[in-house]
Amino acid sequence: MTRGYAVRLAAIALAAALAATGCSGGDEAPAPPVAGGAAALPGPAPAGLGLRPAPSGAPGAPAVTGALTDGSPVALADLWADRPVVLVFFTSWCTLCADRQAALSELARRHRDEVVLVGVVTEDRPEDVQRYLREHRVGYPVVLDADGAIWRSYAVREPPAVVVVAKGGALLRGWPGGVDAPTLDAELRKLVLPA
Amino acid sequence: MRRLLAALVLPSLLTGALAACGDAEEARKAMTVRVLVRDINIRPAGVECAGTGPYTHFHNRAPFRVVDTGGRTLAEGALSPGRSVATFAEDLEVSRVPTYCEFAVPVDLAARDAYRLVVDGHPPVDLTPNDSEGPALVAVVPS
Repeated sequence: MTRGYAVRLAAIALAAALAATGCSGGDEAPAPPVAGGAAALPGPAPAGLGLRPAPSGAPGAPAVTGALTDGSPVALADLWADRPVVLVFFTSWCTLCADRQAALSELARRHRDEVVLVGVVTEDRPEDVQRYLREHRVGYPVVLDADGAIWRSYAVREPPAVVVVAKGGALLRGWPGGVDAPTLDAELRKLVLPA
Repeated sequence: MRRLLAALVLPSLLTGALAACGDAEEARKAMTVRVLVRDINIRPAGVECAGTGPYTHFHNRAPFRVVDTGGRTLAEGALSPGRSVATFAEDLEVSRVPTYCEFAVPVDLAARDAYRLVVDGHPPVDLTPNDSEGPALVAVVPS
């Protein structure tokens, strides 16, 4: 092998490697923010948010902590301190979750700041979760429950499942097997009083 | 340099070619791998499901391999969603009943004395031939 041939071969190999990695030589677009991370946390609750009080005797929801998709810590009790919280237990490989996700994402946008939806995912790969969140335009925060501890604390055995927690942490309602957006919307309208 | 290149590259090319020939010569048979995960979870019968409790690794898109007793991979792929089946024949008159979760995936397999199923790197599960509903290898978890 001549030196010139070896250099040409190396150049071809480098070009192929660059093409394969999609490198454009320092002209890269900024990486999009991680879906489901701290940027998806809600702003302050609206001033004068009217909420129906939780029924007396309702059990307390497990006040667990976890990490969002971008590694940010989150405590559910901080989220339900000033508004209701809806926990959406899902996985990227659950087809029923995917079927219902667009309507749930839209519901979350409609109730933004009044009610916080929080996704909780386990038994999944972070890259698959990101793909799912982008594909279904999920704009709410998502906890990566790597060891399934949050799922177990809410007695969730398989996706989907949805749990409604009142302001202050009272456990109001749970749907093993999930719930469609209109039913959940009706439940939330019972909680949030008209302005 | 050319000799060195040939010495480095030729063995792997030959190995690949021989392996390809070996696979091509071996007859394969289409069959179904069926796994019944006895998780006794409360859900409607006949709906999509995933394994629960100690069996959460049985789910849609979970990677699987069918291996022989020597651990050689004979087929691999990803599981499809499971389907819930009632654990009892009795009508309990409720929509959610105790169920198992059953998975079925088509595979093409070379003939071996025994087969085992590995799901997402978990310990292998023995598969047993069962032709009652067409050519199949079945497993019950836990056995």
